[in-house]
Amino acid sequence: MADRRRINGPPGATMAPVFEDDAGQPEIKNGKGRDRAPNVIRKTFLKTGVTPSASGSAYLEFEGSSKSGVSGLKLSCTVHGPRSLPRSSPFSPHIVLSAHVKYAPFATKQRRGYLRDPSERDLGTHLETALRGAIIADRWPKSGVDIIISIIEGDQDRETSKSQGDETWDMMNVLSGCITVASAALADAGIDCVDTVAGGVAALVQDAGEDSTPRIVVDPIPSDHEKVLGACCVAYLPTRDEVTNLWFKGDLPASDAGLYTQLVENGIQASRNANRVLVECLGEATS
Amino acid sequence: MATASPAPSGPQPSLTFTRPVFAKLSPHPYLLRTLSPDSPDQQPTRNNGRSPHQPRPIQINTSSLSQAHGSSLVRTGDTTVICGVRGELLPVTAIPQFRPHNGTLYDQDEDDEARARKELKDYDLLVPNIELATGCAPQFLPGVPPTTLAQTVSTRVYSLLHGAGVVDGRGLRVWYTPEIKKEEEGEMEVEEEEEQEEQKPQVVAFWVLYIDLLFVSFDGNPFDAAWAAVLAALRDTKLPAARWDPDREMVVCRKGADTRLNIRGLPVACSAAVFLEKEHAEVGRGEGNRHWILLDPDRSEEGLCKEVVTVVVDCSEGETRVRSIEKQGGTVVGRELIRGFVGVAEGRWREVKEAMGN
Repeated sequence: MADRRRINGPPGATMAPVFEDDAGQPEIKNGKGRDRAPNVIRKTFLKTGVTPSASGSAYLEFEGSSKSGVSGLKLSCTVHGPRSLPRSSPFSPHIVLSAHVKYAPFATKQRRGYLRDPSERDLGTHLETALRGAIIADRWPKSGVDIIISIIEGDQDRETSKSQGDETWDMMNVLSGCITVASAALADAGIDCVDTVAGGVAALVQDAGEDSTPRIVVDPIPSDHEKVLGACCVAYLPTRDEVTNLWFKGDLPASDAGLYTQLVENGIQASRNANRVLVECLGEATS
Repeated sequence: MATASPAPSGPQPSLTFTRPVFAKLSPHPYLLRTLSPDSPDQQPTRNNGRSPHQPRPIQINTSSLSQAHGSSLVRTGDTTVICGVRGELLPVTAIPQFRPHNGTLYDQDEDDEARARKELKDYDLLVPNIELATGCAPQFLPGVPPTTLAQTVSTRVYSLLHGAGVVDGRGLRVWYTPEIKKEEEGEMEVEEEEEQEEQKPQVVAFWVLYIDLLFVSFDGNPFDAAWAAVLAALRDTKLPAARWDPDREMVVCRKGADTRLNIRGLPVACSAAVFLEKEHAEVGRGEGNRHWILLDPDRSEEGLCKEVVTVVVDCSEGETRVRSIEKQGGTVVGRELIRGFVGVAEGRWREVKEAMGN
């Protein structure tokens, strides 16, 4: 049953355009690889107050890769609240967080639907966990706050056609961006937090070429590398030295426990870098 | 500054409020007061500092998104909207009631144009949708079905797209000329041409344009901003060159050979709200009830006005053409006022044209 509250278009299925020279090109493109040092994150633009009618809002943009066709991440976040909960809801001694993450239909290579899919819900849950550790929740009993993030443009390579499961790795980058932008918007809304939380991603990647060994990089772009073996997204409070959310994905040998710690360490490092941008942006906004 | 007294500076408590507090507490009398100043030499102004016929400046950026085929960002005051146009292919086999027409690739006459317009409508090749539930204003929160406003604006954009004939449907067809066999070049040329005539080119697929609008920030007058964004994004849209591959039985595209969409005219929407002196006046009794026409109303003004009029004009062919007139709720705006309003819309058209760049 088609959704009658939207304009649905033709009844037949439409296809995204297929390009004829897809087969050969990605290999040549991939040869270029990453041009940043392994411990450097991309340039980040962060601005608060983009939506004046919301209590707090922020816009974040990651610089695209030097390769053509790779877009940077663009996120817009609004925060509404704190406001009283509806009468029907049960008593809550602390603030009720609700995080909502949605891709714009034109954000990724595949057109997104209008309803949230499981991966978007997943992002929302992780974001909520990351923020819950930062907010001083018992200052607002019986109230709620809505955090809404629209992903205007995803972090994807437009040129490559092989998907190679990139989406799962892209989600890591998106989540780290979401955490940083939501933290800025919360600060803009004047909701008390113990610290500014920021997200960082570290990944174990394998580059193209026979003799390359896996190495750890921060803020990876999946299309820069031959293969991503594992990635971890960390939400970190720098002054408290606390991790509020840790999300690890991948396939690593269990024998090498040091590898996990190294990944998390690098994730924390990336998060510290992102936090510097965040603090600078908030300082500019208040001055 | 004559209307409200300033906030007390002394320590003693008083019942005077600052201007923003008054504007929040009783918006209607406050707006009325600023619109009808005491002395005649003062200009009537609105709460936001604009004069009644002054729109907010418009800013348009295009091509900022890389995943969409065409995109734009439009900002008027605190209303910000992003539009992304994405083309997808619809093979004619997927159209239930497809009637192949007997036109050819080289037809340039008016019949073909009318036929293309009918195709747009029949096969539903333009799909505009507005997303308001992005938290762009406190009343639009996600997790609910599209609000009435979102549905209304989507439908109005849809009908104006078809009504004004903005998109040239001929640019959305994908042609294929079947070949029987490969001929050797040179001496066989004459026969080849004969064969070509037997095998007429046919339409094998259509481009469907998904036009998605996302409000980042909402401060009144959604339709004008949305329409400007749609138009700017369509003018920015470049579709890849597509051809039918008979071996794979599908349409394949080529990179680096994008063609710009042919957009006809530059219709610009201009909206105004009618503010009445008496808040709850009887319908049909216009006497003694002064009114003001507020061009490009913001969110607080939209809440106070019932009657809204939208005129779509296009002056790109030299003379002014009215593409659409919409009016709802109220009896103030009549024939004379609409005629005058078209003149105001012409001014807005020039501003938008300037912002579009070319």
